[in-house]
Amino acid sequence: MTIRFGSPFTSPFDRLLSLQRELDRAFENPGWDFGLSGRGVFPAVNVFQDSEGYLLRAEVPGVPPDKLNLETHGRTLTIAGERDSNGAGAEGAGYHRREREVGKFSRSFTLPSSLDVENAKADYKHGVLTVRIPLKAAAKPRQIEVKAA
Amino acid sequence: MTAQEISVRPKQEVVEEQTRAGRAYQPDVDIYETKDSLWLKADMPGVDEKSVQVRLDDGVLTIEGSVALDDYQNVSPVYSEYRVGNYRRRFTVSNHIDGERIQGKMVNGVLHLELPKAEKAKPRQIAISAE
Repeated sequence: MTIRFGSPFTSPFDRLLSLQRELDRAFENPGWDFGLSGRGVFPAVNVFQDSEGYLLRAEVPGVPPDKLNLETHGRTLTIAGERDSNGAGAEGAGYHRREREVGKFSRSFTLPSSLDVENAKADYKHGVLTVRIPLKAAAKPRQIEVKAA
Repeated sequence: MTAQEISVRPKQEVVEEQTRAGRAYQPDVDIYETKDSLWLKADMPGVDEKSVQVRLDDGVLTIEGSVALDDYQNVSPVYSEYRVGNYRRRFTVSNHIDGERIQGKMVNGVLHLELPKAEKAKPRQIAISAE
C-alpha cells in the first residue's frame, strides 16, 4: 500500500520527501507510453492520477500563457510555445553566465483512449503548466452494489 | 536554418546537506552586468514570491525557493520525467554590490534580481584637460 504524503502519518516536513519518493518510483515508468514523443523532448512532464482523471504537469518557467499553445486532436495533446530570456541581456550587458535556454518548443503526447482529451483544461501557475484530462464517462470507476442474498 | 529548440536537461542536485528534509536543486541562472548593476534571473518553477529568500552575507549571495506542495495533494504520480524539489544556489559576489539596494521579484516562476553596484564601483570617467 502506498503511504500517501497527505496522510496524517506524515508531518509537513516529510511532505516533500514523500512526494520525491513517490516520484522516484514513477520515474520513467516503462508502463507508460506517450506514443511517438519520447523523453528528452522539452518540456519534461510528470503525470498524476486523481479521482477525475489524469493531470499532466510541465515546468515552463517564464513563459506567459499567451506564449503557450495547447492543442488537442483525437487522442493527441500538443504543448508548444516559445521561451525568451525575460529581459536578460539588455543592451550593453556583458554575460557572466547564461544557462536558461531560449527558443521554441513543441511536444505531442498520445494519451490513453480512456481519457476525454477533448475536454482537457489547463492552468499555469508560478511557471508550472497543469493540464487536467478527465476520464471518459464510460471509463470512470463504477461502484457495484452488493445486495444481501 | 531551423529555429533553435530547447533541450531537456536534468536538474542538478544540491550536494550539501540541508536542514529541511527533501532534495534541493540548483536553479538555472542567467547573470549579466550593466554599467549600474549586476542582474540575475533564476528559474524556480513552483515558487511564489512569498516562498523565495535572497541573502547577501559576507560577499556570498544565496538564493532559495520553496516549492508549493498544495497542488500535489490528493494526486498520485503515475509517470515522472523531472524531479520536484526546493531550489538553492550560492554565488560569490564582489563587495562592489550595494546589499541595501538589492531588488527582486518573482514572475511566472522566475526570480528577477537586480544587484546595484556600490557607487564607488561604477566606472568613473576621468576628465582629461589640456595643459
